[in-house]
Amino acid sequence: MTKERRNLLLGLAFLSPNIFGVLTFVIFPVGFSLVMAFSNWDLTQHNMFKPDAEVEMVGAKNFIDLISGDRFVRFLGNTLFFMMGIPFSVAGSLCAAILLSKDTRAGGGKPMLWMIAACVFVASIAMLAAVGMGGTAMTILLVGAMCGILTCGMIGGRTFYRTLFYTPHFVAGVATFILWKKLYSKETGPVNVSLQPMLNFFTDQVNATPDGMFATVFVLGLVLLVGAYFLGTRKLRLMMIDGELGWGAAILPLIIISLPIVVAVVWGQVGPKTLTTSDVLGFRITLTAGFMLAVVAGLILLVHLLGVARAERFPCKPSEGFGSGFVIAILFMVLQFVLLGLSPVVGALPAMAGDADGLAAPSWLNDTSWAKPALMIMGFWAAIGSNNMLLYLAALSNVPEELYEAADIDGATPIQRFWNVTWPQLAPTTFFILVMATIGGLQGGFEMARVMTKGGPAGATTTLSYFIYQEGFETGRLGFASAVAWALFVLIFTVTVFNWKFGNRYVND
Amino acid sequence: MKYLFLIIAIILSLAALGTYYSAPDTTSKVPVIYWVTDRNPARELQVKKFHEWCIENGHVGEDGQPRVELRLDMANRDKTKQIIQSVSGVGSDIMDLGGGSNLRLFQQMNVLKDVTEAGKELGFDPSKTYAAVEPLITVDGRQYMFPCNVTVRGVWVNTDVFKAVGMEPPPTRWTIEQFDRMGQEFNKIANPPGTRADQRRFFCDDISETLLYRSMGLSLFNETATRCTLNDPRYVRTLTLRHKWIYIDNFMPTPDDTDAFATEQGYGGAKLALFGTGNYAMVTGGRYYLIRFRDYNNLGQMRVVEPPYDHFPNTTISTRAAVVYQGSDYPHLANLFQAYLASENYNALIVEDADALPPNPAYTRSDSFLRPEKHPNEWGAHGQFVKMAEEIAIGEVLSPFVLGDVVWREVKFYREDFYAGQITAEEAAKRTAERIDFEIDNELKRKPHLQEKFDRRMALQKKIDALKAAGKKIPRAWVSNTFYLRYYAAQGMLTDEVPASLEREGE
Repeated sequence: MTKERRNLLLGLAFLSPNIFGVLTFVIFPVGFSLVMAFSNWDLTQHNMFKPDAEVEMVGAKNFIDLISGDRFVRFLGNTLFFMMGIPFSVAGSLCAAILLSKDTRAGGGKPMLWMIAACVFVASIAMLAAVGMGGTAMTILLVGAMCGILTCGMIGGRTFYRTLFYTPHFVAGVATFILWKKLYSKETGPVNVSLQPMLNFFTDQVNATPDGMFATVFVLGLVLLVGAYFLGTRKLRLMMIDGELGWGAAILPLIIISLPIVVAVVWGQVGPKTLTTSDVLGFRITLTAGFMLAVVAGLILLVHLLGVARAERFPCKPSEGFGSGFVIAILFMVLQFVLLGLSPVVGALPAMAGDADGLAAPSWLNDTSWAKPALMIMGFWAAIGSNNMLLYLAALSNVPEELYEAADIDGATPIQRFWNVTWPQLAPTTFFILVMATIGGLQGGFEMARVMTKGGPAGATTTLSYFIYQEGFETGRLGFASAVAWALFVLIFTVTVFNWKFGNRYVND
Repeated sequence: MKYLFLIIAIILSLAALGTYYSAPDTTSKVPVIYWVTDRNPARELQVKKFHEWCIENGHVGEDGQPRVELRLDMANRDKTKQIIQSVSGVGSDIMDLGGGSNLRLFQQMNVLKDVTEAGKELGFDPSKTYAAVEPLITVDGRQYMFPCNVTVRGVWVNTDVFKAVGMEPPPTRWTIEQFDRMGQEFNKIANPPGTRADQRRFFCDDISETLLYRSMGLSLFNETATRCTLNDPRYVRTLTLRHKWIYIDNFMPTPDDTDAFATEQGYGGAKLALFGTGNYAMVTGGRYYLIRFRDYNNLGQMRVVEPPYDHFPNTTISTRAAVVYQGSDYPHLANLFQAYLASENYNALIVEDADALPPNPAYTRSDSFLRPEKHPNEWGAHGQFVKMAEEIAIGEVLSPFVLGDVVWREVKFYREDFYAGQITAEEAAKRTAERIDFEIDNELKRKPHLQEKFDRRMALQKKIDALKAAGKKIPRAWVSNTFYLRYYAAQGMLTDEVPASLEREGE
């Protein structure tokens, strides 16, 4: 036996336990679950104690049932809703990393910074006291905690803050969820205890303001919505003229960008309804307003399409630039939906504040409207100080100092330094974080749903991973549960491929 | 490196051998069987007494010691674990399961031993427990389990709280209207304006929907358990009543109210602690609450009343029961444990530690059960539970055409939708029934062997509906819904004879 051959065998011997483990506990189950997804395997019918019952292959039946049933779509919607927090979490991690890359130790040459921070802090406390929190234990607790953190930060510097920020990541998930459940308690939870006095103060201000003001803001919101639609379609038009976006690739982005307008029009009802606190979204767009929105948006679209048709376009393939157009359309769609969601809430404020109880702090985990945002906020908190922050910290330390020096020589402001030096240098890290966060987001949500809400109320927090658990282990429908798992895989794979194909471009640029 | 690798491999192999040879199955001289049960300190004593019972009853080896060693497994009580372990061939010899829908699920999997014959031979057949429990421990007339304990839901009354607010406690049997009236009065007196959320007093922790609509003569399923019947004004009324009591009158706590109390959960949940502190004037539950109540020295005279009713007094009965695993190496020894559950030795333990009702009602007649010396303040409670078990208790209504877990998931889903204001009570009732019927149809598609049974029952159902419409009595043999068997009997609507004009179609 030659030496190379002996070394190869020896190496394989070293690796064999791991290879065996991966094959047995990862590769085989994954492959097997694919087969299961096309079978009628039901634990109540097919197991080792029922030798006569055979598992039958049912083709795509499980997938058809999945798509035709209303639950999968609903739970996919919940999962996607939670994923809307990902961009905010990534931005939060980046902010945290930038802050934590600064020296915060007292005497480090930044007395002015500390003085400003102290002034802001004192002003915040004074404001809280002014709106009725002065005597509460919560204020004292907040003041104490903040003072403690600041003091420790001055002594320990950024090491202390880095440890503090990373704490959520190494605390056991279940413990964190139970803690947040207590924080979210409607009557006695610290969140609402802090929020309610501010809402009381805000109620008084709203009641003292003429209703017409809020109606105006509501209309302004709709105008901004149209404005956002105009800007979005204009951007797509310019991309088409510049040859960055082919006509074929522009169809889907145009549909996506027009979606909020369609929703707003469909949402339209005859006359605003009588409003109560429990009927926040009762302030709906009237039929007339909806019709006007449709007409204006239609005109905008027509003008831009005509603009493209008449302009001398830079030649490009019809499929060119789909990714860029898609990303831009998604961004403008989210912006429009935010405006569409917030405008009626502002419009409804006088009626809500006019209720006997005024503006009430929400029932975070027991209200179908608030349960999802509540879990999203908790996820945001956990994500800021997660591995994403560490990755950004590492990436920040790798940005060449010469680039900053060059920017300084060119007279760049701090914002310009960030936008033109730091941000492009962080692009590969951001890309990696976004891909991983998207995958994690689609897979996640099981633990918090199981511990905090049991998937309720009324399925509001049931994610696809929790759905898989229910189908597979509570009712024993392994075939169907595998189909859900593989549908989820296809979704994750598609999103990841999309990210690689179109997201990578900006990284390499 | 390769030597280090080899050394580690040898050490691990030796450790594996050491573990194997020190395992109880290897070291014990007699067969070892495992009992999967909940994490309760009382189980240790129950195991000890089982070994003593074996000696007393001659189940011993040549050395006079028990011919079996029973060991506890408290780490695998979770239902999903039990399912996976059972179908994988590594289930425990004896498992605690809930009777009724859980039994049906495991029985469908064929992972449970049929113990009908052993029950007769060793004296733990269904006649040794409460009549209302029989449908919960049998499937199609075959026995699969024997109760470890039996829970009947009553309403525990904290008489001190009623005294404090100057109200008379409720009577033993009371109507929904009385409950509603007293609840509102209590709320007015006990919670004057400005009462802090964590100091509120609630009239009652909850009243189950099932009890309410059953008291109105409605069941989850029709007489043949082929269709859901919740799309009914009586279910709408039930939903509306509970919503009113919880969210409008608020004399029963909302989930937010429950969260507001900073109390530990513990055995039986936070509500027991809140009952002890006087925040709840009444809590609904079984005799096993006494395990916690006995820790609260300040509780006065204990009283138990029936749940409020419309025109048919009823309550629920359930059981934690022991099954024998199909894959057990020693099923005959596991049967001995079930026989022990029916014995005086075991029942005396349950009588004493108040872990619900003893499985064998024969042991509920003694003074040690009805009037325990150490706890004179409980004397009014024990007998009431037995009375309810024997007179008004009805177990869970089951359908062989849909899994219990699926049913309760759907009921909860639309109920929460209604409570959240997303749909009306009428819509909730309609959607619940439609969804459960949809699940039944799906189950039939997945399990075609059930179709024949379903069709037969549907044909019977048509005949039953015709008889009901004509105001005639219904043959008892046609009714498979345990609630309707009791309800129609009470209303005089059952007959043992099949009308001559209708052909008998038994199952």
